[in-house]
Amino acid sequence: MKKTLQIIMNKFINSCKKTTELIDKRGISKLSLIEKVQLQLHTSMCNTCHAYEHRSKFLDKAIGKLFNQKQPHDKAHLSEDRKSKILEELKN
Amino acid sequence: MEVIKENTKIVFENWVNQFSDGLYSWALYKTSSKETAEDLVQDTFMSAYHKFDGFEGKSQPKTWLFSILNNKIIDFYRKNAKVKKNEFRISEKAGFQLSDDLFDENNIWKDQEIDPIWDDEVHLLDNADFNGVMANCMDNLPEKWKTAITSKYLTDKKANEICQDLGITVSNYWQIVHRAKLLLKECLETNWV
Repeated sequence: MKKTLQIIMNKFINSCKKTTELIDKRGISKLSLIEKVQLQLHTSMCNTCHAYEHRSKFLDKAIGKLFNQKQPHDKAHLSEDRKSKILEELKN
Repeated sequence: MEVIKENTKIVFENWVNQFSDGLYSWALYKTSSKETAEDLVQDTFMSAYHKFDGFEGKSQPKTWLFSILNNKIIDFYRKNAKVKKNEFRISEKAGFQLSDDLFDENNIWKDQEIDPIWDDEVHLLDNADFNGVMANCMDNLPEKWKTAITSKYLTDKKANEICQDLGITVSNYWQIVHRAKLLLKECLETNWV
């Protein structure tokens, strides 16, 4: 029963594959109104795609954590000890 | 020769005074460990000193130092990752195939279970092991895909400029980003246990 419903939804609204495409597309370019509605409808009925929305956002953060150089961060100070140590090393 | 060496030392003394707090703040934010962050900053200055000949002033000193530091941070994550680095990089063709395979003939998810590793999502980013697995998963992606998903963080370039660099259209670009993310999710669910 569940499977049949899924197939119907995938035929009439959007497939899961298409939905995940829209989820990632949204982060880069604008979705049309129809795409937005389709996305909303599908994710409200499909847990796996709903979860993928979260994963997609999380992945952006994780990639950002590894590669972002622009994210604001609290100012911390390198200890004076370490600074002198570095300067000392450079002298050798 | 001695004069050049002396000059280099003076330059570096200035840099240490000028940039070490910024580099340290950044390393601390990325690694959440004071000691590690201090070591990474020291390593950064040492590497920079040794390859100073290669620095031709094309970029700002600050940018150059940060790029060295960022490589060190990623190496640090990798060394800490419990999983061994996979030495292969998949082809674009295989990438499309693998991401297609996540869906069945009706384009419905083959595996509809939601992996429990994501229950703890908020804490994962502070976990050095996790970031190591993540770095390795990124390395398995086709080169072009990795560039596509990282370039918006590495440069100030807009999507259309990134596309120009990669020689692709905007719609190609988000398709690639999309496929890359599907594979990353899959890779993390397989390798982060």
